[in-house]
Amino acid sequence: MEPILKIDDVVKKFGEVVALDHCSFDIEPGSITGLIGPNGAGKTTLFNLITGVLQPDSGHIYLKGEEITGRKPYEVARKGVGRTYQIIRIFPKMTLLENLIVVGKGKERKVVERAMELLHLVKLFDKKDDYASDLSFGQQKLLSLAQVLMLDAELVLLDEPAAGINPTLQNELMALIHKLNDEGKTFIIVEHDMNVIMNHCQNAIALNYGQKIAEGSCSVIQQDERLLEHYFGR
Amino acid sequence: MLGSVYALVGMGLTLVWGVVGIVNIAHGEFVMLGAYFAFWAFSLIHLNPLLSTAFSIPVFFFFGIMIHKRIMERLIKAQELAALILTFGMSILIWNLAQFLWTNTYRSVPYLTGNFPFFGLVLGKSKTVSFGLAVGITIALFTFLKYSKLGKGIRATSQNSEVALVCGINTMKMRSLTFGMGVGLAGAAGAIVSLQWVIFPQMGGSYISKAFAIVILGGLGNIHGALAGGLIIGVLESLITQYLSAKMAQIIPSMTILIILLLRPTGLFRK
Amino acid sequence: MRRRFLENLTLMSHSFERNRIWLGITILMAFLISIPFFASDYWVTLLVLILIYTVYAAGWNLFSGLTGYTNFGLAWFIGVGGYVSTLLIADYGFFWLFAWPIGALFTSIISIGVGYILLRIKGVYFAISMVALTEGTRELFGTEYLTPITHGGKGVPFVAGIRLPTLYWSILLLAFIAIIICYKITSSKFGLRLMAIREDEQAAETLGVHTTRDKIIAFILSAFFVGLAGAIHFTYQNYIDPTFAFNIQLTLTPIVMTLFGGVGTVFGPVIGATLFTFIHEILWAELTVLYMAIFGGILMVLVLFFPQGLLGWMKEKGIVPRIRKI
Repeated sequence: MEPILKIDDVVKKFGEVVALDHCSFDIEPGSITGLIGPNGAGKTTLFNLITGVLQPDSGHIYLKGEEITGRKPYEVARKGVGRTYQIIRIFPKMTLLENLIVVGKGKERKVVERAMELLHLVKLFDKKDDYASDLSFGQQKLLSLAQVLMLDAELVLLDEPAAGINPTLQNELMALIHKLNDEGKTFIIVEHDMNVIMNHCQNAIALNYGQKIAEGSCSVIQQDERLLEHYFGR
Repeated sequence: MLGSVYALVGMGLTLVWGVVGIVNIAHGEFVMLGAYFAFWAFSLIHLNPLLSTAFSIPVFFFFGIMIHKRIMERLIKAQELAALILTFGMSILIWNLAQFLWTNTYRSVPYLTGNFPFFGLVLGKSKTVSFGLAVGITIALFTFLKYSKLGKGIRATSQNSEVALVCGINTMKMRSLTFGMGVGLAGAAGAIVSLQWVIFPQMGGSYISKAFAIVILGGLGNIHGALAGGLIIGVLESLITQYLSAKMAQIIPSMTILIILLLRPTGLFRK
Repeated sequence: MRRRFLENLTLMSHSFERNRIWLGITILMAFLISIPFFASDYWVTLLVLILIYTVYAAGWNLFSGLTGYTNFGLAWFIGVGGYVSTLLIADYGFFWLFAWPIGALFTSIISIGVGYILLRIKGVYFAISMVALTEGTRELFGTEYLTPITHGGKGVPFVAGIRLPTLYWSILLLAFIAIIICYKITSSKFGLRLMAIREDEQAAETLGVHTTRDKIIAFILSAFFVGLAGAIHFTYQNYIDPTFAFNIQLTLTPIVMTLFGGVGTVFGPVIGATLFTFIHEILWAELTVLYMAIFGGILMVLVLFFPQGLLGWMKEKGIVPRIRKI
């Protein structure tokens, strides 16, 4: 099966600092992959490169076989890639409903319907006319995820989705992710919480100093934990 | 010569912009106020304009601090439009008040007339002294910023205000102080200007546009850049006035801003 | 049964409201249209000014209020639209009915280029660059190179062959259309996308919002309306020159009016323009020079204490419903 995402020898430097150092890997469609590594390993940079926020200095990125290296963020998004941010970025002075409608494409009535559906899905429907800034932290995370769903993204990049929310909400969130995964969506999840990775991801890719140091199914990685400890100094 | 004054004005603006984060559209008006300060000091108490220049620095410094504390700090931060409009309103307030109080008649400070003969070059007395004053102030500024404790504090705040805060620097005080310095520089520049040119309430306008060009040319918050920028703009203006026309020279600030913003938005000089 | 009855009642009262609003609008418009028939020239002139500034303010708000890109170059639109239209009338004998739209079209077409180039610049820098553009154009129009076309500093005194009532009705029509367009856009997906650009441009982009395209479209629309109003404005003044046309005050007055009424709202600019012109008339008569100083002071107070403007304040207090449509 053709990988949904192919990262091919990507290099990204910020001045002297090498954020990504000849990184390559494939992501299979329908998988949930964890992206792990210490802070500054290049995970968020990778997300930025995939979504077109930054351009790689060299290397290629392919989505469903098509090259998306250097495309504009909105082009990449419309091709089916959605992402959330480590620090939540929703539109604070717009209502929840508006936050979703703005993402939608097509007839207004359908867009509104879909937005309401998604609000029901994340259980925020009763707040649809509230400003997004009024939401709690965890609710904002859900809204952010709903926005990505509004995009009908096939590939979803989540940057630390479980961080900072209580275990109940965490479980709900992960359950939602699994449900969507069953429906065919592919996920790449950046996380520091190894439990989340081990319990929910099928594969994992480990980065350190911009280089991929390990890759494989989670069970393999788990066995490699000693190696990981060495790198992450836990 | 002209460039040195422009440099002073530009440095003041960039200092405030870089450290305090406020784009002070009223900056030109402070230059105007400085000029009037020297004028009235000369007319009323016959104060030597050179001394007025010296005095203008502390006077405007404290004036600036007060303005910052009372007015600026009330702004909810991260509201760029708000700061722009606020300082714009202030600018309108100041120059119209000046127009109201002091009328539109051109004033001047005829203090240093005549020329210095200097190795065959004829240097206007007032121009030379102005230049000297400007240079002197610039040197003082750089020395202060580099060596004094406050200066270091200001530089730290401009680079990273959060870290500075954690290191125990009172960032709010730094901001007020820096704002005061910016205003002080403008006032001093104004006093120097009064030596050479006529002064009138709307004069701030031309200084502010040049100051913006300088700041953008030199790079935001970059004081050395502003110094260089001021000189460049001054030279450009003289050249174009001489070879093309005075009218064409008026386009310089706008053209500079547009070109730099499009090609090298961070300014020509690195910090 | 009862529920049905209540539902029907609610529906009926909603449509009553709707109809009432339509009725109100119709009465207002009828009133405004008939003004030249019974009011003195003074009042008609005053209204013309209010309407011109309403279009300026609404045009500014359409772009800057929604996208958050502070356009400090409104006078550029006004000047370009005004000059093209005026020169067509004065030098080439065009009829005003054609000169005006051509002026507006010219402005919006050039604004495509300007927007494409300048809208990459963000924040404060964008504001500054627009000011620089305005100032630069003003000086440019005064230079020896362009004077043959633009008449330079001498200005262009002219008469357009239009009577006051007709001028009034024209600007009234323009203002009406402008407000309807603002209303439609603000409550549309396009308007929401513009607001998303204001809230967080990068996040909007990663959510598929084509920011460049949307910004430029809003920019062009703004340019069109403001340019057209500018053409009418200078026809009304029977005179144009660079200082007049590219005057920073023409940029700032509409902005202040919008601030006063409420940035980003539909009717904020209208309210702001109306109130402001009235206050201006009163103050001007009394205080002239000091007036500007007071104006500056008012600006400062506005920004510090009422950043959301009158309408925004009313929405916050609940006096007015907090919906996008207004």
